[in-house]
Amino acid sequence: MIYARNLNWSHGTRRRGTSGEPTLSGVTFSVPAGGFRWLLGPSGAGKSSLLRLLHLESLPRAGELTILGTQVSPVPPRRAILSGLRRRIGMVHQHPRLMPGLSVADNVALPLRLIRTPESTVREEVGAILEWVGLSERAEALPGALSGGEQQRVAIARAVVPRPALILADEPTNAQEDTQALRIVGMLRELSTMGTTVIIASHNETLIRRFEAPALILSSGRLTEASGV
Amino acid sequence: MSDARNRRDGLALAGALPDRTLIAMIAAMAFLASLTLAGALGARSLSLRWAAGAAGLVTVQVPQPDNPASAPPSETATGKTRAEAALALLGTLPETMSVRRLSATELDTLLRPWLGVSGTAALPLPAVIEVHMHPGTHLDAGQETALRDVAPGTLIERNDEWRGRLAGLAGSLELCAALALAAVSFVAVAVTGMATRLGLGVRRDAVGILHGLGAADGYIAGRFGTRLGALGLAGGLAGVICGFPVLTLLYGITAPLYGGDATLTASVDQVRTLILGGLPRPVLIGLGIIPLIAMCLGWSTARIIVRLWLRRLP
Repeated sequence: MIYARNLNWSHGTRRRGTSGEPTLSGVTFSVPAGGFRWLLGPSGAGKSSLLRLLHLESLPRAGELTILGTQVSPVPPRRAILSGLRRRIGMVHQHPRLMPGLSVADNVALPLRLIRTPESTVREEVGAILEWVGLSERAEALPGALSGGEQQRVAIARAVVPRPALILADEPTNAQEDTQALRIVGMLRELSTMGTTVIIASHNETLIRRFEAPALILSSGRLTEASGV
Repeated sequence: MSDARNRRDGLALAGALPDRTLIAMIAAMAFLASLTLAGALGARSLSLRWAAGAAGLVTVQVPQPDNPASAPPSETATGKTRAEAALALLGTLPETMSVRRLSATELDTLLRPWLGVSGTAALPLPAVIEVHMHPGTHLDAGQETALRDVAPGTLIERNDEWRGRLAGLAGSLELCAALALAAVSFVAVAVTGMATRLGLGVRRDAVGILHGLGAADGYIAGRFGTRLGALGLAGGLAGVICGFPVLTLLYGITAPLYGGDATLTASVDQVRTLILGGLPRPVLIGLGIIPLIAMCLGWSTARIIVRLWLRRLP
């Protein structure tokens, strides 16, 4: 589960100080294990920043944050614990961050190989997940040869394949056709019913209406509405 | 799916690091290190050999050796020449282990570089007596006075005084070599550090992705460490292989100083023998260690640099 209270975050580093207004201010919410949440708000509201914070790509300047039972703010744990926590979080960025020199299959296999999963299991899991996202026939292709939507699906497959406890997705269906987008969100919703916590930032009203769920609504870095707090 | 490990995590360090340049620079450092190490070991060996030779050795020069002894202190000098009297006196001392007068041939050989083949015949030469003392003993003032009484003008050179100077010289050379090795190591570390930072710059995105997927600092640092360690080992081996024939040739030239035969004009077979086993064992061991040190420096430097770089990420 996620528990956040009075989170503050702004660009810059702790050492160099912050720049300008805080990107996130006084953000408080919680999401139980297996919860499914939409993260909504206009562009620049801080949705991506909040997701990156939850993915531990940076740490809050102030406030309390507990993710999957581990407190990461105000007192951050050791780096090894943060790394371990990151391995339990699947993140889909707005722009798919794939390894350009690795095939689709090798990109998807990365999280499994990092935890030294036996190679036979890796092949099995990767094959199944590529089937799930409809990319079985592109397994040996390099990311550069894929369309934007296909690259995004590879990123989703990579985030899901280690069966993480928390999945964060930043506009994961942006470059997808409607049927593909419905399928992906449907599968993520299904994962949440099996105990995976899912938070999806999206502007897609069709999807939001189709998959009704509590929403975290951000505006100018502040949470204006939150369910389950 | 690709089976090669370096293709599996996307770091592909073989394409991110300046392999050839790094190997060439580490090889140059290893070459310098092998010369320095061999020089230091050579100086030490030479110093020990010369010091051992000079230990307890006293050289006595008796001028006008064939003149009668001037003031015989005892019956042993009566009716003898100065040289004979000095030899007799030295032979009776309990501190002396052996007393020997250098022959005319030995004197000729000794002075030939300065006086030429026929030079010694034209000059009145002193008698040179080589005295080996028991360990820890030396001629005291009374014994030296007695010697000068039977042979006025006698010069007494205590060679063990040179031992201290030789040891000091060898120590200085070893210190210089240690400083040179430290400087070479520092440059190797700096070069490796720069190559690592270059690799991190080239693979910044890949490192960021791996970090985001939960790769531990130790994993990423280990990947760089293994690669840089391998390049260090390759460079170290290349440098030592380049240094080997040079050192073999230098040892061949300086062999007489160590009590061997000069091999400057050696035949092909002799040179082959030298290359395969001509260098002293300590030098061979030192040369064997240099590539391992280069590997360790590369491995540890890369790991430290990468870990420091990763500190900027949470």
